[in-house]
Amino acid sequence: MTNSRPEIDLDELVLKYRPVVSFRVRKALGGATPDWEDVADEIITQVIEKVKNGEFRGDSSIGTFIYTITSRRIVDHIRQRTKVLRHAPEPSAFPDPHETVENRERSEQIAEIVKGLKPKFREVLYLYYYKEMPREEVAKRLGIPARRVSERVNYALKLIKKSLKK
Amino acid sequence: MIECKYEGLIDRYLLNKMGEGERNEFEEHYFNCASCFAKMTERDEVIGVLKREKSVFAAEVRPAIETRAAAWHDRVFAFFTPKQWVLAGAAAALLVAVLTVTPLLRNAPPEFVLNGEETVRGSSLTLISPVIDIHAVPAYFEWKKLGEDVQYQVSIYNGQLLWKTSTTDNTVSLPDDIKSRMIAGQKYSWQVKAFSKQGTLIAVSSRVQFTVNPAD
Repeated sequence: MTNSRPEIDLDELVLKYRPVVSFRVRKALGGATPDWEDVADEIITQVIEKVKNGEFRGDSSIGTFIYTITSRRIVDHIRQRTKVLRHAPEPSAFPDPHETVENRERSEQIAEIVKGLKPKFREVLYLYYYKEMPREEVAKRLGIPARRVSERVNYALKLIKKSLKK
Repeated sequence: MIECKYEGLIDRYLLNKMGEGERNEFEEHYFNCASCFAKMTERDEVIGVLKREKSVFAAEVRPAIETRAAAWHDRVFAFFTPKQWVLAGAAAALLVAVLTVTPLLRNAPPEFVLNGEETVRGSSLTLISPVIDIHAVPAYFEWKKLGEDVQYQVSIYNGQLLWKTSTTDNTVSLPDDIKSRMIAGQKYSWQVKAFSKQGTLIAVSSRVQFTVNPAD
């Protein structure tokens, strides 16, 4: 791979930013959108081209440079999709492409860990993440201070992370 | 380990609780902060599981929460005597009435200034046709003229924007391809915005709905 700007290793750049770009695109378009991976690929290709052409001049960080390209492409895609979809039916629900066998196993593992947590942690996760209640409301419902809600959530997340690493 | 100040925002982002500005700032940040990105993807995975696998919250967790909530309500109800509750209820009803009526009184259309001297009120841009249900796709859209040198922006919607155009005239004809997209039985709406020669918004019509009824 040739590189007009020797200080940027394109392989490393792709390795580092592909997951970030993919995350951002999936979050904006929804994992159920079948073409989110194509959009992410296009963005990565565009980034490589722009860097090769010397369009990245270091005025901002490379992260911000890629963020800007990503955001613009997402807006374009949504506009284009709106135009197309005006005359076409919405595509049917698509299985989450993230749900590979490996990921499913990991999800099951997380689910098992959560099931094994003490009820005081599960209830806080239920209200805060599942019900999406504000911290203060969770605190009211459980009759504990708001600070305690954060502590319990963080502790529960730590326990999940620790158990996953085992 | 030093905690990045953005770390505390991860939940707000993942649960879509951020406004646009905050979201953009946060997104730009995680393009630049590998630590926040790693923590966010980890959290996203867990939240994803919690959202999909409701069964992880075994039945005993939810009733326990409901019971505690009930106890909490009991405490609230015991806070006032029944007489005090009646008074509080009356005060609340009065407050609701005041809050409902006040916006109606203030519901005057906004003022827009034309050429710095003449003032045109937003409501004075009146749509003429179509304003009721019609039996054929309208050939043209018409509204009351506001003055000279006014540019009108006409938008037609079918739930989302169907067509938008600009003109200095007070009527506009529909192009054939737009006509062909208008279906009998569907609801449409349209709105006109008027701009001065300098491009300043001077009036906005109300958004009028109409249905193209199937021909008898």
